[in-house]
Amino acid sequence: MFTLHPQSGVPIYRQLVEQVRRLIAGGQLPPGAELPSVRDLALQSAVNPMTISKAYALLEAEGLLERNRGKPMTVAARRRSADPLANRLRQIEPQIHHLVLSARQLELSRQDLELLMRKIWEKSNVE
Amino acid sequence: MSSESVLEIHSLLKVLGGRQILKGCTAAASKGQVIGLLGKNGAGKSTLIELILGFAIPDAGYCRVFGEEGARMSAACKARIGFVPQQDDLIPLMTGEQHLALTASFHQHWDHALVQRLARQWEVPLARRAGVLSGGERQKIATLLALGHRPEFLVMDEPASGLDPVARRQFMLTILEIAADADRTVLYSSHIVSDIERVASHLWIMREGEMAWQGELDQLKESVVRLHLHAEHDLPLQLALPGQLHCRIDGRNASVIVRDWHPARQGEFEALTGTSMEVEALGLEDIFLEVNA
Repeated sequence: MFTLHPQSGVPIYRQLVEQVRRLIAGGQLPPGAELPSVRDLALQSAVNPMTISKAYALLEAEGLLERNRGKPMTVAARRRSADPLANRLRQIEPQIHHLVLSARQLELSRQDLELLMRKIWEKSNVE
Repeated sequence: MSSESVLEIHSLLKVLGGRQILKGCTAAASKGQVIGLLGKNGAGKSTLIELILGFAIPDAGYCRVFGEEGARMSAACKARIGFVPQQDDLIPLMTGEQHLALTASFHQHWDHALVQRLARQWEVPLARRAGVLSGGERQKIATLLALGHRPEFLVMDEPASGLDPVARRQFMLTILEIAADADRTVLYSSHIVSDIERVASHLWIMREGEMAWQGELDQLKESVVRLHLHAEHDLPLQLALPGQLHCRIDGRNASVIVRDWHPARQGEFEALTGTSMEVEALGLEDIFLEVNA
């Protein structure tokens, strides 16, 4: 279910947090869906169990996952629209930062970039 | 998770042949940690392990396992420790089975089921004499001997060095299974960085007899990064950023490796250098090379 790369510079727990976040946001992990146990996921992906529990704990603190006594963790009921705009913006900021840098390296103007973004934005809305 | 101290090392000093092998190491381990002990050859890893286990006596400082000092460790304390040496001490004329039976007879509690299961999983030829086995096969037997009494603290000195990639992966999974029991602790010395990156929760990096870095592996990975700086004009020939380890400047661009990084510092660094920057996370291999540079 998850793809973890121990050799990447990004700590494994953060890779997992981000993947769970995305899967929840994208609906692949709907509310109530069960996550693998810490032990199972650790052995399956051959990474340290502490790493997995750390990721789960962070996701629980964010309110994305719920801990159930004696049972697997589940995806919490959605409260996405209640997530303040500022939070959602903060989530996407690193990607935009990267995008802007790449655009500058390619010597594109802000107008070029905005035009292209608007096109892609509208196309994605149709789908 | 309990924080009972499994291992306390304090200002440990060891001199061999007039040379300081350990120059005052201090470190601690608690339950549930899998500690990767990394260092170049001659950094002092094996000497540290010998002192931990009481095979040698420190010239200053101390080292306690479950509260007891190495050289005067009680039998009860020793029974809580398992050790896989770098060079196994199997007897060539004895078979794996005989070794297991002999070691089991020294222990009050021996988990025959666990040993049999692992022997099958690892395809260990138990019926053959140790003298005719390959290095990897001997290493597997040495590991079984160290695991049978289900030690709470497992110490391994380069345990996977003689194993092929398939056997190494199986071996890693076994360590992870041990680690999944949050009550147990593993200290694992290696210079195979990718193995450590997978299984370790904590890291001790030794350099020339000193503890160059210790802490959570994740924390290390987040705190040492490579910054890519882009300026409007040529950069000066030298940069001196806080925590700078390594710097390469090429006209308007520079790449700088820094320690003690925190994302909140990006603005401060950009203002300081008059650049915009990208932050690149580094794998453990790169970090290890930087720490030893």
